[in-house]
Amino acid sequence: MKRALSVLALTIAGLVPVWRYAPADGTTTTGSAAPASTPSASTGTSDSSGQVVAGSTVNTEKGAVQVEVTFAGDEISSVRMLKQPNHPQTTAAVPKLIEETLEAQSADIDTVSGATVTSEGYRESLQATLDAIDAKGA
Amino acid sequence: MRRVEHVMGFPVSLRVDDADVPEAAVDAVFAWLHEADARFSPFRPDSEVSRLDRGELSGEALSTDLREVLDLCEHYRTATGGAFDVRLPGRGLDPCAVVKGWSVQRAAELLTAAGAERFCLNAGGDVAAADGPWRIGVRHPELADRLCTMLEITDGAVATSARYERGDGRTGRPATGLLSMTIVAPTPTEADSVATAAFAMGTEGIEWAASREGCEVFAVDAERRVFRTPGLPVAA
Repeated sequence: MKRALSVLALTIAGLVPVWRYAPADGTTTTGSAAPASTPSASTGTSDSSGQVVAGSTVNTEKGAVQVEVTFAGDEISSVRMLKQPNHPQTTAAVPKLIEETLEAQSADIDTVSGATVTSEGYRESLQATLDAIDAKGA
Repeated sequence: MRRVEHVMGFPVSLRVDDADVPEAAVDAVFAWLHEADARFSPFRPDSEVSRLDRGELSGEALSTDLREVLDLCEHYRTATGGAFDVRLPGRGLDPCAVVKGWSVQRAAELLTAAGAERFCLNAGGDVAAADGPWRIGVRHPELADRLCTMLEITDGAVATSARYERGDGRTGRPATGLLSMTIVAPTPTEADSVATAAFAMGTEGIEWAASREGCEVFAVDAERRVFRTPGLPVAA
């Protein structure tokens, strides 16, 4: 497993410059592709198909990068990106997202946005109730 | 003035508050939506979309409207790095996701041209609102009779893409990690297309949608966590 972990560390270290690389950028950065944090591996899970190990998150200027490596014995059978910058080349600022818990509300509304595609779905929907109330009031 | 009709297989509710807008303008809105269904539905063998898919239409035979729809499809396919694709392998051409928002937008333009100022059009969950405030509830992804948030829109559009009805059959892709994706945008075309595309992209679609200019996001992931943009117009 020791060998496997060192391979994992190398794998992560090898992937980081890929994400740092920005062809559109005219400036060159040579010899400074060291990861912003030292990669280490979290404890993996193992099953019959091999051991799966998630690497730690590495912060690059393009965004956080994290990989998951699946081992078959001592061999790496696959590498999957758990976290990667969505659009490495984009300069558009992504607004900071606010995380909340899901609520179930009921309130006075004019209409409902929802993926109501079928008529069956509509019959039991809030929008049907609103339309029925409107029809009576109209 | 209020009217509900079933078009394209879903209910369309229209409310116009201007007293001087003729009934004919409302007729024209529903006539247009029926026309859009007849011309662009992939489920009708005689539609323009089906004929194009069978190779019976090409070049100058394409209508201006169909060309516009196909250009929009290509725009969103490129913008999503291919996650939003109306030509999936083994399936027919299906521009539904773009056609819905686009035809709602055209309907709203018809109303405005007829002199309507204050109206709210809801086509199967896609909302176009003018001269609000309009209070628009977002359906809870798991409870059909509850809301998960309430928005207040003056002028603009809201669309929701979710798994509770649509499923992932539309995209032909595996489950996405999202329960629902709601977008507030300046136009119905943008709101519906971005909601559909971001939903198909899964959790990555949240940031993608949030980075689009003019789009506000309310997303619920599979763990029932809500992610929203700070600018989302949540009702007080």
